[in-house]
Amino acid sequence: MGKGVFVSALRREIKRLLWQGRARYLLLTTLGIVFCYIFFLTLMAEGQPQRLPIAIVDRDGSYLSRRLCHEINAMQGVRVVAVYNSHTAARLAMQRQEIYAFLEIPKGTYNDVLSFTRPHLALYSNNAYLLSGALSYRSLATISKLASGAVQREVLRKKGYDEKQIMGLIQPIELDSHLISNPTANYQPYVLTTMLPGMLGLSVLLLTVYMVGRERKAGTLREWLGEDALPALLGKLAPYTLWFTTMGILGNVVLFGWCRFELHGSFLLVALLTLLLVTAMQATGVFLSGIIPDAHLSTCFAAIYGTLAFTMSGFSYPVDNMPGALQALAQLFPLRHYYMAVSRISLFGCGMGLCWVQVCALLLFLITGLVGCRLLCTYGEE
Amino acid sequence: MRLLKDIWDVFVIEVQRVLHDKGVILIFFIATLLYPLIFGAIYRNELVRHLPVAVVDESRSEASHRFIHKLDATPEMRVDYHCCNMAEAKHLMQQRRIHGIVLFPHDYDYRLAHGETARVCLFCDMSSFLYYRSVLSGTSAVLLDEMQQVEVERYGLAGITGEGADELVQPIPFDDVKLYSPAGGFTSFLVPALLVLVVHQTLFLGIGILFGTAREDRRTLRVIPPHLRLEGRTRVVVGRALAYLALYLPVVAVDLVLMPRGFGLPHIGRIGDLCVFLLPFMLATVFFCMTVCSFVRERDTGIITCIFFSVVLLFLSGAIWPSCNMPSFWRLFSYLFPSTHGIQGFIRINTMGATLAEVKFEYLMLWLQTALYFATSCLCLRAAKRFKIGVA
Repeated sequence: MGKGVFVSALRREIKRLLWQGRARYLLLTTLGIVFCYIFFLTLMAEGQPQRLPIAIVDRDGSYLSRRLCHEINAMQGVRVVAVYNSHTAARLAMQRQEIYAFLEIPKGTYNDVLSFTRPHLALYSNNAYLLSGALSYRSLATISKLASGAVQREVLRKKGYDEKQIMGLIQPIELDSHLISNPTANYQPYVLTTMLPGMLGLSVLLLTVYMVGRERKAGTLREWLGEDALPALLGKLAPYTLWFTTMGILGNVVLFGWCRFELHGSFLLVALLTLLLVTAMQATGVFLSGIIPDAHLSTCFAAIYGTLAFTMSGFSYPVDNMPGALQALAQLFPLRHYYMAVSRISLFGCGMGLCWVQVCALLLFLITGLVGCRLLCTYGEE
Repeated sequence: MRLLKDIWDVFVIEVQRVLHDKGVILIFFIATLLYPLIFGAIYRNELVRHLPVAVVDESRSEASHRFIHKLDATPEMRVDYHCCNMAEAKHLMQQRRIHGIVLFPHDYDYRLAHGETARVCLFCDMSSFLYYRSVLSGTSAVLLDEMQQVEVERYGLAGITGEGADELVQPIPFDDVKLYSPAGGFTSFLVPALLVLVVHQTLFLGIGILFGTAREDRRTLRVIPPHLRLEGRTRVVVGRALAYLALYLPVVAVDLVLMPRGFGLPHIGRIGDLCVFLLPFMLATVFFCMTVCSFVRERDTGIITCIFFSVVLLFLSGAIWPSCNMPSFWRLFSYLFPSTHGIQGFIRINTMGATLAEVKFEYLMLWLQTALYFATSCLCLRAAKRFKIGVA
């Protein structure tokens, strides 16, 4: 019985897709997802922003200040786009967004260095833009520390120390930092490994809600679900599950294969999680359309819920830093579990043993789909 | 007089349409307030504090203990675990109980005592930018402090003491001034951009729903006063735009003026400048939405397109990824959207205290967009009238 219903629902959906022009929506969604992959991968192709524009306020105009300027320009992270002679001019340039940071070299710096009376450099960075501000600050701070080191070395040489002793005096402790699985602090793996599957999940959610809404508007809900609702529902959703899971897996092939983002764990597990994310999003979609009988309103709600998923997944701002109630709420978003599992698999090479909790959580979302299906049957037509 | 009357008629009809649609009310008046509140709550803590880390102390010396105590005392991190070896720490990392490992090699103390360069190894969790940033900045701060202490000791041994040693430890000190958001918080950085995006996207959604519904129900021309059905498209466009603007005025005031103050976000700009800047932003957004939504054939497809583009628009704005580092194609592409200039201008005026002179480019671009999209929305309406279809 169930099998027959499943097959006939599947046949009905495929017929609609192929001959009744419904494939348009599938095609548009697919194009949208492909656009997102191309957009984000090309937008951040640099990995980490390089050669950020900065300025120097050179009120000294000495050999030292010019040398600092050259050395800053030789760094990879920043480039000097202007040399100003007043603080105000530099501040205005910062407000015009022409520079992200500037180094102020006060009058008499070189003299002070020679006479050993500790001139103060001042380093201004724009924290309203977190990424660019932090990166340009880091480059300028490195140069300022190196400048100190150069002076130290000169003095110590003149005092007759050898190079090894000098290194020990200038840098008694060094930091050997290992950025696990992302040695260049590339911005793309941070963002894209979660956000792109998130975009996929969002479109699956919206498309599911939209499809159920259409059935409801057209008054064909009863015809579609019939007596045996669950197999009918599965039959309708199956082609989409297959299509979007394939897309998600291909997307992950692009990310981990073509773009060579680190993947220490098994790709099969990532593929399984992609399948679970797609089905969880479909289940949530069915639930939302079941619980909100108005087709228009359910799309609006799905939109609000779907966009929040990016924030609540915690890949940009850690969930454990949110207020307690919101931490609990974050569990209601499938993307959260996907991120938790995939980041473990890719960065630390965890296996099923360490991410079964997430797998179970994603499976639990399927129950919401069952509830949604039940609701659809009970309060079907508008 | 006739002109004003026509505009007024369209205005009234449009306001009624908005107020009669549950979906639009949800988006225009509830989502616009709900989103900023949710974002405010999510990002309330601004910074990542007391991040759990583990230490592996193979040196077991006084120097390493001192370092660990200082690590624990930083605001950024909290030493939760003292592990015997790296395998144990790695396991904790895999379980995501910790977000960083600090390793002191067995020769840490030996090297310090012998005047050589000692080494501290740091392993960072790279699953989020903020973890990495916190762990790195916390460890660097302690390292700098320890280094200065050791340096002073070593100079003392070399016979350089007192002020001479201080001068040698840091011959060119530098002061760092973090402008506009001294703590470098995540909220002050992201939420202003999100606020502008919320205004832009909800307006798009609302107008998309209105246009889509009218087209779906095939009552397109019925929502225009009878005598304007064949001509007077400018009046229709102006009347509608005024209706959306009037309805959105309180929303904008709450979202872009009150919210930054309510959440304690930086707001050093002058309200006058902000208002003058927001006028072309709102106009450009309204006309942009009216143009694009003319192509929306169904109510729900408008929603789907709009939602899909939200994240893309956020990244195009240059608030996250610097616009000077975008490929030029995408930078030019971003100039098409009012949200790009709106977000840039809003951050600079509101957060960075810029005046209109500093956002001249964005301001002019927004007026240019206003003119362009006004013309296109008139054209779209004309096309719709000619073919007696679609565009609401």
